[in-house]
Amino acid sequence: MSPGPTLVAEGVRKAYGATVALAGVDLTVEAGTILGLLGPNGAGKTTLVSIVAGIRRADGGRVHVAGIDVAREPDRAHRFIGYAPQDTGIYPTLTVRENLRFFAGLAGLRGGEQRDRIDAVGDALGLTALFDRRGAQISGGERRRLHTAIALVHRPQLVLLDEPTTGADVRTRGEILALVRSLAESGSAVVYSTHYLHEIEELSATVAFIDHGRIVASGSLASLVERFGSSALVLRFDGSVPAAARVDGAVVDGQSVRVPTPDPAGTAARLLPRLGHHTAGLLAIEVERPSLESVFLTVTGRRYEAGVPSGAVAEAVA
Amino acid sequence: MISFRRIGVIVAHEMRLARRDPLPIMVLIVFPVITIAFLKPALRPALVQNGYPHANGAEQVVPGQAAMSAFFLVTLITFSFFAEHAWATWDRLRASPATSLEIVVGKTVPRVVIGIAQFALILGAGVAIFGLHIRGDAAALIPLVIAFSVCLVLLGVAVTALCRTAQQANSFSYLGMVLFGAIGGAFVPFSVLPGWARAIAPVTPTYWAMRGLRSVILDGRGIGGVVAPTVMLLAMAALFTVVALRRLRFDETKVGWG
Repeated sequence: MSPGPTLVAEGVRKAYGATVALAGVDLTVEAGTILGLLGPNGAGKTTLVSIVAGIRRADGGRVHVAGIDVAREPDRAHRFIGYAPQDTGIYPTLTVRENLRFFAGLAGLRGGEQRDRIDAVGDALGLTALFDRRGAQISGGERRRLHTAIALVHRPQLVLLDEPTTGADVRTRGEILALVRSLAESGSAVVYSTHYLHEIEELSATVAFIDHGRIVASGSLASLVERFGSSALVLRFDGSVPAAARVDGAVVDGQSVRVPTPDPAGTAARLLPRLGHHTAGLLAIEVERPSLESVFLTVTGRRYEAGVPSGAVAEAVA
Repeated sequence: MISFRRIGVIVAHEMRLARRDPLPIMVLIVFPVITIAFLKPALRPALVQNGYPHANGAEQVVPGQAAMSAFFLVTLITFSFFAEHAWATWDRLRASPATSLEIVVGKTVPRVVIGIAQFALILGAGVAIFGLHIRGDAAALIPLVIAFSVCLVLLGVAVTALCRTAQQANSFSYLGMVLFGAIGGAFVPFSVLPGWARAIAPVTPTYWAMRGLRSVILDGRGIGGVVAPTVMLLAMAALFTVVALRRLRFDETKVGWG
């Protein structure tokens, strides 16, 4: 095993025609850590993960996994990578065990070692009772678990999970998150791509926010929240936001206004009386505590909406 | 470096997938046997007219239907690639330690074996059921059949490389089966084909396969009768390999079906 970080990506660039997917991304992931790759749909997460996995070529930059240049020696690098793409990929006519056995065999596992690994990963993801069922006969959540298990069966040094909980039920989601934690504890480096902020908070992962193909903020969860996170007062109206609520620094988004402030209660006490008769149109008053969501808002100027393509615009108050 | 162990894993995997869905392979064997039963009496006069007074029709229809239906190998190999895209397993296969070459070899070897087995079974059924008499050295057919199967499977890889959707590949396979079968002399004896068809026939693998089969089965020749057809089939296989190498892009997104 290489003594350095498990994953090093430097200046990774990729464009599809005129559309820039990655505009020079740098990443480092150490063994035994989880990197939460966060960003809205279309931000560049999947492109980045697939380049790291060696199935897509970058236009520029370098990616090293366990010290191996992925672009130059993809087949050698693949021995150290466990990749679960975004779309669930299993063989529907084969049993769960046969699916696992095939990929374990490709990774070089044989005999008792192969059986032990299949049993271990099956146990961790609740697949043991399904071993003899065909892929076409299991539920969507079970497929998602098998899909994840295939990526882990050879105990890779680098685990790449691209939105692994998309469409997953509560049980599957919980098992995947628990497994990701245990993988990191056992020494694997994990890149966990998602647009669900709360999953990263649950995993206590190191965070890299990607937006428009750039890493716009990265660091530990605590350091990011401390540096960029802000509390805020949010007022939601039954109609347009009145001028009285558009104080300095406030961000209007449709029928709501967000006022960043270290003292939401004090700000509410000062602001509400100024609204006058507009208080009748006030639907809700919310207090936002510093969170990853507020980090994203601070660094991009936009609200984080998981399902909205990168580039959604909020109206900023000058 | 190429790993024969990984190729073995892929070959075993492909054979397992084929066993789980055996209908396409059954069609490959059952379909020509049925058509042989129907067409055999109709082809006897043509053979007699062409100077084979003792022929019973099986000498044309058995190898002809075997050669025509062998074209189904093109469908089988293209399906094996497009299915990976439909099942979303292609990217994870590519992300495995298997190299591109190992994946292609692992997918083609089982289909070549299926092609050889298909020919053996149909010729065997021809002898046992339809009174096929092989006048020459039957062993001489072995290199010919191997070369024909390799040629068709590599044609399938080239078709995969050139087509973006499963429907395109299926259309080509079906068209190729009928057109190459007709022009190549698989339906009726080559000598009764129109002049224009005889002129372009040598560009089809079916023509060379039928020429070799005819020289052993009807003309009673041995290995000398299959050398030229075998070499031509291998040359075509090499051409298809070049097309596949130039055009097969593993990072291309193909549409499985639908």
